[in-house]
Amino acid sequence: MKKSLSKLFALVLAVAMVASLGAMAYADDTVKIGVLVSDVSGEEALGFRAYYEDYIAANYDVTFTYTDQLEDAAAEKSAIEKFAAQGYDAILSLSSSDRVTQIETAIENELYYAVVSGMLEDEQFEQFKTSEYFVGQIGPSMDTEYEAGVAMGEYYAGQGVKNVAIYGAFIPNPMHVYRAAGLLAGLGCTYGGAAEKDAIVGQIFGDQGVDPSKIEGDIQVVAYLQGFGDTTFDELNGAISQGPDAFLSVGMATTFFADALNGAQIPYGDIDSFTSGNAANMSDGTLTYIAGKYSSSVGPIFAATLDAVNGNPIRDAEGNAISISQSYLVATDSETFDTIFNGDKGDSPIFSKDVLDAVIGEGIAYDDLVALVESN
Amino acid sequence: MDKNDKLAVSYRRRQTLITVLPFLALAGLFGALCAIVTAKGYRLDMYLKIVFNEGVVLAIVATGAVFIYTLGSFDISLGASTLFSATLGVLTYNATESLPLMLLVIFAVAVGCSLFSSVLASVFHIPVFVTTVAMMSVLSAVAAQLITTYGGALGGISIPSEVVKPLDKPLFKIIVLVVFSALCIFVFNYTKIGRRQKFLGGNPVCAQLTGISLNKYAIIAFVMAGLGVGIGAFLTLVYTPSVTTTTAGSIGMNIIVAIVFGGMPISGGARSRIYAALVGGFSYILLNNILMLLVDSNAGYGISQIISAVFFLVVVFVTGINYRTQILPR
Repeated sequence: MKKSLSKLFALVLAVAMVASLGAMAYADDTVKIGVLVSDVSGEEALGFRAYYEDYIAANYDVTFTYTDQLEDAAAEKSAIEKFAAQGYDAILSLSSSDRVTQIETAIENELYYAVVSGMLEDEQFEQFKTSEYFVGQIGPSMDTEYEAGVAMGEYYAGQGVKNVAIYGAFIPNPMHVYRAAGLLAGLGCTYGGAAEKDAIVGQIFGDQGVDPSKIEGDIQVVAYLQGFGDTTFDELNGAISQGPDAFLSVGMATTFFADALNGAQIPYGDIDSFTSGNAANMSDGTLTYIAGKYSSSVGPIFAATLDAVNGNPIRDAEGNAISISQSYLVATDSETFDTIFNGDKGDSPIFSKDVLDAVIGEGIAYDDLVALVESN
Repeated sequence: MDKNDKLAVSYRRRQTLITVLPFLALAGLFGALCAIVTAKGYRLDMYLKIVFNEGVVLAIVATGAVFIYTLGSFDISLGASTLFSATLGVLTYNATESLPLMLLVIFAVAVGCSLFSSVLASVFHIPVFVTTVAMMSVLSAVAAQLITTYGGALGGISIPSEVVKPLDKPLFKIIVLVVFSALCIFVFNYTKIGRRQKFLGGNPVCAQLTGISLNKYAIIAFVMAGLGVGIGAFLTLVYTPSVTTTTAGSIGMNIIVAIVFGGMPISGGARSRIYAALVGGFSYILLNNILMLLVDSNAGYGISQIISAVFFLVVVFVTGINYRTQILPR
């Protein structure tokens, strides 16, 4: 028996040694960036990944390591700690279960950290803006989200729609609340008697959704749904049966409902992203309005992070982390869509190496980065 | 030596092997992790802390769950209970700013949910695992609704990190782990509770004919599991002071894996071991981390999970060999 156990123990040790031999240690000057992701299969996420891994990594001395799908805040924190243990230089975050814990963990481990998509709440940004390890954020601000909603509402109002169905996505997520408020304002509607941004936003937060009975205006909202669950498609079918002139979504409709809406021949608009799926929805389906991000829109925050790692941090006039609002691009026809989509692919992204090089290096001013982001 | 003696010797050898194997596996995996991390030039101290943080909640919740699994029963709702307890704990703190009250609510909810499952099963004579499946759906849905309402669907709810930050230290967690494990070992190995639960798990009809109440020991088992869930929920908040709809989502299934990795049969009974969850839980987390270090995450998703699954089947097969014997377990 003892002999058997000895053999077993020797076998275990042998496995451990073989495993360690297979793990080749290496060290070089390449900047190592860990990317936190909660969505590993969405078209937008894959577009961002292809841009970083295929284009940026080929043009700069940098490697990107993506996490597996991060399910919760604990997984995010653990992933950052592992990147720190492996000697990474920076974290780019596309995951948002708990941004505060992410940033605290990155700072504790002396890793540069940037929000790649979306924006922190104001108080969260204030909490971390002075930390040297917090690079900052580039993405649509809440005002930009509101304006994106307004623009979509005004477009359909201009098209002469008389009744619409609205999908509120994941209200009370702030991003979707602001878009929905803007959409109502753009349609020329009031909500609970209010027409101003802050008043509408406040009421939607309070209602935890949009209450159709509080909407007044020339354009009728014949159906409203939000969230995604077991009854969502029943609600969608109910909305379709109302025969709306348009189905207006503040997010995710092209992911969830494109087939149903294309099949029902109902024009629809969404705030989402420029993807091949949406190209098909616009050319062959009934998608008539899309405001969205594009794959290389994550280029400027990479540039700012690389600067920080290389000892050339870009800070605002007060020395704080960057916070720049990035607008959405809009397409209302296939030609415009294809121009944006095809102009941001492969070796010729909108934020190409030539464009990014303008903000990578020593002595880059905050205003230069702002100008770069706003010009594209 | 006659045939019976030979059988007995062979049985004892197998028993020793099956007892030692999980510990050897744990030691081997620990050694492998240390070797790989060192060879890659990574920081071993940080990795050990990470593995401990990842494993401690699973080990504690699974240790409490051993009492249920010993009865030959099954609770799939423990992850949802952890989420629900943590959710109500966060809401309580945000309403009262009282840490003791938050703790009280977490434990009351965890034990309450567990008790409700067992009482429901007793009153309506429904198999316990059926009630836990229902509880899992209900608790997940209610927790998700609360989190959505108070924190936004894509976000979550949280308490200020400084409230629990001082407790996010290995020493505190080790103390909690040791105290809870000691309590469970005492109840399981040194009182009649563990003995009778093994009897009930091995042969419920015979056990009940001798006057042992299944309902009574099922309730005790669920209370112990509830305590584990409560501690797990609190330690989850200590590590990250926020709760999302996916928090603790994988615990329910990981408990089963941990118990099997620890060398205990899912069917419970006489071969149940209280240390199985502790050893198996950390073995599973070590294995996951080793695979993550060896398998390039960019090479494709799911490879680590596939290897883990194969490993799981191998462990079940190896431990199963020991059960195919002509001698009753002891």
